[in-house]
Amino acid sequence: MKKGLSLLIIVYLLGFWSLSSGQEHQKPQHFYNVDTEKKIKGTIQEIIMEPRYKDSSPFLIIKLEEKKTHQKFIVEISPVRFFTHDFHKGEELEVVGSLYSKDGNQNIIARQIRFKGEIVILRDKRGFPAWRGGGMKHKKRRKGKGF
Amino acid sequence: MRKLSIYILSILFLSVSLKADSFSFSFFQNMTDNIFQNRYSGRDQLSQMGFYVDKDFSKISIFTEGSYSYLFENPSLSYYIQDLGLDYLHPVSEKAAFYFSLLGQGAFYRSDYNDFNSLSFNFLAAFKTYLSQTSILKSNYSLDYKSFGYSLFDFVSHGLSVSFDKYFQTRTTLKSEINWGLKFFLHPYSSQEVVMVEESGGHQSGRRSYLFMPKTQFEGQSIQVFSFAGLIAQGIGGNAGFNISGMKQWYISGENPFTSVEEFYMVENPSYDRFAWEGYQVGSQVTLLIPWNIELKIGYTMGYKEFPGIESMNLDEELLGVTREDKRRSFETRLEKNFARFSFFLSYAYVDNDSNDPFFDWHGNFLSAGIEWNMLFGGRK
Repeated sequence: MKKGLSLLIIVYLLGFWSLSSGQEHQKPQHFYNVDTEKKIKGTIQEIIMEPRYKDSSPFLIIKLEEKKTHQKFIVEISPVRFFTHDFHKGEELEVVGSLYSKDGNQNIIARQIRFKGEIVILRDKRGFPAWRGGGMKHKKRRKGKGF
Repeated sequence: MRKLSIYILSILFLSVSLKADSFSFSFFQNMTDNIFQNRYSGRDQLSQMGFYVDKDFSKISIFTEGSYSYLFENPSLSYYIQDLGLDYLHPVSEKAAFYFSLLGQGAFYRSDYNDFNSLSFNFLAAFKTYLSQTSILKSNYSLDYKSFGYSLFDFVSHGLSVSFDKYFQTRTTLKSEINWGLKFFLHPYSSQEVVMVEESGGHQSGRRSYLFMPKTQFEGQSIQVFSFAGLIAQGIGGNAGFNISGMKQWYISGENPFTSVEEFYMVENPSYDRFAWEGYQVGSQVTLLIPWNIELKIGYTMGYKEFPGIESMNLDEELLGVTREDKRRSFETRLEKNFARFSFFLSYAYVDNDSNDPFFDWHGNFLSAGIEWNMLFGGRK
């Protein structure tokens, strides 16, 4: 039984490996630039799904209006958050992310958001994505009792 | 220990070799004074060690997760769970998308609990759409197939849910949800069949000895349930919020096919799941972001559950002629701190369960702490 289990684990990890070998990473159209990082607190104006990178799932995009300046920002969140979090127009959102301009719009690649008293880490400090596959299933894994 | 080190090193090596997008390693330590959740209050500690790897292939994400749980006082209940799955997000417009996932899971217990060994398959299809910028409609369908070491537990189940929410400018969110579920047991029993029942240690082990014995008169093969749930959530500033929720579940048809049902702490018991009961649950929860961006959650829940088909017994295991009913109150609190590479949590729960079956008249304290270490390889865009 134990030998069978060990074999099973090794076989499918190898399968995983063989599937992934040979995958070339596409160069994204824009990068996370740590030098342009900014924190913005604003009110959600619009929520949409939009393709951002070639061969990648569409991203959850939030149009945010900064509270102090009323300046508008287009915030790139991540693909899977469309299903794991329910954002609504009028809700407050605080974003830490990398700022860049495109077509006259101020865009932010979000690294961290604060929403409804929860901090969500989307990327590490260098901008590497921290979200995972299995978004809806993975959340169910129990960490202690309750919540 | 040597085998464990080899496993960890192999997993790390393969994760780097396969150019995974993310890899995480977790360790959770759980303590309780009532592992079997009954009046005999068995203490135990459960150490849980796990890994998670995922990789994107275009729009499909493949993920795998394994965890080993060791129980110090009841090592025969230690188990290993391995998941392998894939998911896919398919937008149909700027405001709507489908999500599909396939998941296979194997759960492997030590010889004393071979009955709990299982292989399962899950398919989930979800749809979410914004009806307006302040209201969301969601619908889920899930299909589960599970085959156990003891075939009495084998089942196929279907679940369908629809939810609707609306956010108001007062920072109030109202949400309602309806759920339907059907569980079909694959091995119904008749009075002519002889069923082998493995005797456990009875009260000496803190468990009933006849627990897995099916009722010989059981004829129905399925259980059908329907539930309605509602939630009111209120945001207070950017750092706090609270919610009040309620849920009621009814049996539409069928009843539990077992002589008794039980739940364990952190160990899935195949005799108990969401199809085992009808009744209600109400709760409230406060969420606060305290200094150093630590999330604090405090909650209180109370509920009433009736277990159709399950007759209460006295401590001499004689039937009392009434359906088992439990009234439960629980208090829970949790602290969590997330960094990009690490996340920590600490949680405590106290549960008081009053039952008309004295064996299940219990209370317990549950304490958990954990750390998760995430390695991101930067392949994902």
